[in-house]
Amino acid sequence: MNKNIIRSILIGTYILIVVIIISGISSLFAYLNTGADRSSMLHTKLKKIEQYTPEFIWSPLNNEGRPMDQLVLKQIENDYLDAWYVKLLAYKTNTTIGVKDYYTDNARENIFSFIELNSKEDVTVESTTLNHHPTLDFFSEDGQLAVITDKDVVEYKRVFKGKKLILEATEKSTYKIIFLLEDGFWRIRHLVKEKNEIFKPEFNLKAVKHLNIKGINYYPQATPWNMFGDEFDEVIVAKDFNIINEAGLNSIRLFVQYEDFGKANVNLKKLKKLKRTLDIAEDNNLKVIITLFDFYGDYSVLNWTLNRRHVVKIVSTFKNHNALMAWDIKNEPNLDFKSRGKSNVVSWLDSMIDLVKSLDDQHPVTIGWSNVQSASILKDKVDFVSFHYYEDIETLDFAIQSLKKEVGEKPIVLQEFGMSSYNGIWKPFGSSEIDQANYHKKAQEIIAVNNLQFMSWTLYDFELVPKKVVGSLPWRKNVQKRFGFIDVSGTKKAAFRFIGQ
Amino acid sequence: MQNKYIYISLLALILLSSFMLIQNSEVIQNFTLETSQIEFEAGSPIVLKFSPSGEKAPLLYCSSSYGSTLIVPTYNSKFLMYNIPFSISSKIGVVNWKLIYEDSFISGKFRIGPKKEVSSMETYIGPPSIEAGGTDYTMLVVIPTDSLDNPFPDNTLVLAKHQFLNSEENEVIFTEDLISYKNIYSQKESGRIFVSSESLGTNSKEFSVTVFPAIPIDFKISATRPHGYADGNQVTTFSTSVIVDKHNNIVADATYVTFFITNEKGNILKSSGATINGVATSKMIHPDYETQWSVKAYVDGMAESELIILKYKQVIKSFEVAFSENNRDITVGPLQSFMKQIIPDGIKVTLLIYKYNRLFKTETKTSFEGLVNFNLKSYIYNNDDYTIIVKTAGLEKTFHSKRLW
Repeated sequence: MNKNIIRSILIGTYILIVVIIISGISSLFAYLNTGADRSSMLHTKLKKIEQYTPEFIWSPLNNEGRPMDQLVLKQIENDYLDAWYVKLLAYKTNTTIGVKDYYTDNARENIFSFIELNSKEDVTVESTTLNHHPTLDFFSEDGQLAVITDKDVVEYKRVFKGKKLILEATEKSTYKIIFLLEDGFWRIRHLVKEKNEIFKPEFNLKAVKHLNIKGINYYPQATPWNMFGDEFDEVIVAKDFNIINEAGLNSIRLFVQYEDFGKANVNLKKLKKLKRTLDIAEDNNLKVIITLFDFYGDYSVLNWTLNRRHVVKIVSTFKNHNALMAWDIKNEPNLDFKSRGKSNVVSWLDSMIDLVKSLDDQHPVTIGWSNVQSASILKDKVDFVSFHYYEDIETLDFAIQSLKKEVGEKPIVLQEFGMSSYNGIWKPFGSSEIDQANYHKKAQEIIAVNNLQFMSWTLYDFELVPKKVVGSLPWRKNVQKRFGFIDVSGTKKAAFRFIGQ
Repeated sequence: MQNKYIYISLLALILLSSFMLIQNSEVIQNFTLETSQIEFEAGSPIVLKFSPSGEKAPLLYCSSSYGSTLIVPTYNSKFLMYNIPFSISSKIGVVNWKLIYEDSFISGKFRIGPKKEVSSMETYIGPPSIEAGGTDYTMLVVIPTDSLDNPFPDNTLVLAKHQFLNSEENEVIFTEDLISYKNIYSQKESGRIFVSSESLGTNSKEFSVTVFPAIPIDFKISATRPHGYADGNQVTTFSTSVIVDKHNNIVADATYVTFFITNEKGNILKSSGATINGVATSKMIHPDYETQWSVKAYVDGMAESELIILKYKQVIKSFEVAFSENNRDITVGPLQSFMKQIIPDGIKVTLLIYKYNRLFKTETKTSFEGLVNFNLKSYIYNNDDYTIIVKTAGLEKTFHSKRLW
């Protein structure tokens, strides 16, 4: 009996081991048999990724030599921009990846020697180009050689020694470039900088005295921080705007989330919804401040051109809309100072202000700083200064005074303020709705005394607050849900009396 | 209240720091550029000198056609000296610089021009082959470059030279947008154009462009054959006249010519050949019955020949048919040619066997030593009456109601 058990165990174990070994070998065999997709072998599915999109405007064609066609011109444009991109990337990292695809054997030596020099000296250059104005000078009869002059190329550079930022420069240069068609690439053969000057964008400040902003930051109750998604509902927006208008307010602040709106390629559906929102605001006598960037924290110089595409699309779409009041470049950019570097963020903002002003010379521009300490940054470039205030109401008056001293005559907008009426398990000694009402009463008094413009936070209590807003900690999330003047059930809270003056 | 103090101190700090900044910029020494030269030759050492010299050695930002860098100075008692690295000093173009110290800077630029001597004539020529006739042309693009691979500025003189048959031409062209170019037109003759260029005493190597003849014009054809009989054995050779273009240049070798042969029945035979020295030849075996060929040749889509007619005479006047072995063994022949000689092996003889006026079977054989023998097997051809038709060389003989047994 015993023997039989041992025997069956032995046989069973033997079979099991054999099964395991065979399945192991077969899975290895199967793995080795899987290979790259045939189509990938032929590079038939080459996808063009938008990674570098500076403004690029060809002059009308009037070249010597062979007449140019649009297809080839587009190929030259693509390869030329890629050539810039790989060069900028090379100087940022002091590596040579990709350079050989876009520069001929002789031309690439010049870049390699720079990389060698800079890595020896521990110099890195983060840079980008913002504008190109190329003219085709010459196209050879056999279609293998082209000469272009790229006028007024605006280059922004940050030069580092070690990790230390030494210099920040914006230059305007003119280049002459000879291209050769090699292996299907339009490669740069000769590159000569012909002109160079320091670039100072022209900008003018807008008078904003007439604005008289009495407003509120707006998100619909059901879809906060996701206003232009599938659940966008015009009826709800119209109803809300009516409430805001009835309450005696004259403006709202809306948020465009960079990634949500499709980054460089702005999602046209969302753009349409934003337009509908502006139309409805106009119907309700509300003016709109559009915040161009929210939830975007990468200011790296090489991505500037992508950010600029986004701005160009949105600003040029809405600059003539009657409901538009002002542009807010970015919501609370100072929160990124620590992680991204202050100078980097400020330069980015500076450049974006120039861009918005160059596209729209009618509407004022501001930046939604999250605190009063940062609010004076770039004060000479914004048309009015905006800051957010969630600290003790008692010190608000003092904060305004100190800010006024710093920014002088420039109008100040208290662009976000409010108090949560959350009082529960995650914050047992939180504020009540009465406290919230008192807060807003007091705030409005201070605003009136200081002759300030304001936009409060926010119309509704929210059921859901996405993780990206305040993180996932419940004592933060739940507090964030109760900032509204109207509660979840739609009843006006005590504070609603003090929504305006 | 506590917050108030924080703000006061903060404010004080801000005020104080701005005050400090002003203080700093007051004590700062102002650097001045002592180098007055603003035009340099590529490859020559470039040093930017600033005064005053001191312990403070700010970095110099410098940016050329290809890239930017920071330069650390050396100094003596009088000057701060910035040696422009070779990566910058070797390439032509505008170089802009900026000396950064504290929160202030001075900036400027200088220009680097190419060396005085042309070291290589970077030449591009294309297309590499053109058509004769004076309308087609090739383009010569010359970029004179110095030994550091720098192109020359506008209005540099370049001599474009080319030779064709008896003509040699030199033409003066000037660089514009870094390049110089010239269109070289073909002449009436085909051949080879030799091209070179020269600038500032430096010559390029030799380049050549092939001038191919233009498209052919209409041509003539002829046929040669051993005899005019339709013996199905000899071969007729067709050949074209020398095919030329409108400027009398012989077309390029291997121009493809197709001969279309139409016989009296309207059937078309096709044969083709490629030209050598303008002449294409092609062959076709003689028909085996009396007929007339109309022959025309084409260079597809370009040119055609005139039509020629060839007659082939009947070679077999008549033939004998002998039945034996219960009429099951049929011997055709002897088949005799035009001089009554035994016809060469291989002429086709067809037997058509009808039963009850319906075609029952066809047998085909070729001749051997003038004879063809058919054996009608009893297991196929039952004992019965058959009508047998014998065909060869376009002739036929009919035998009605032949009984096989």
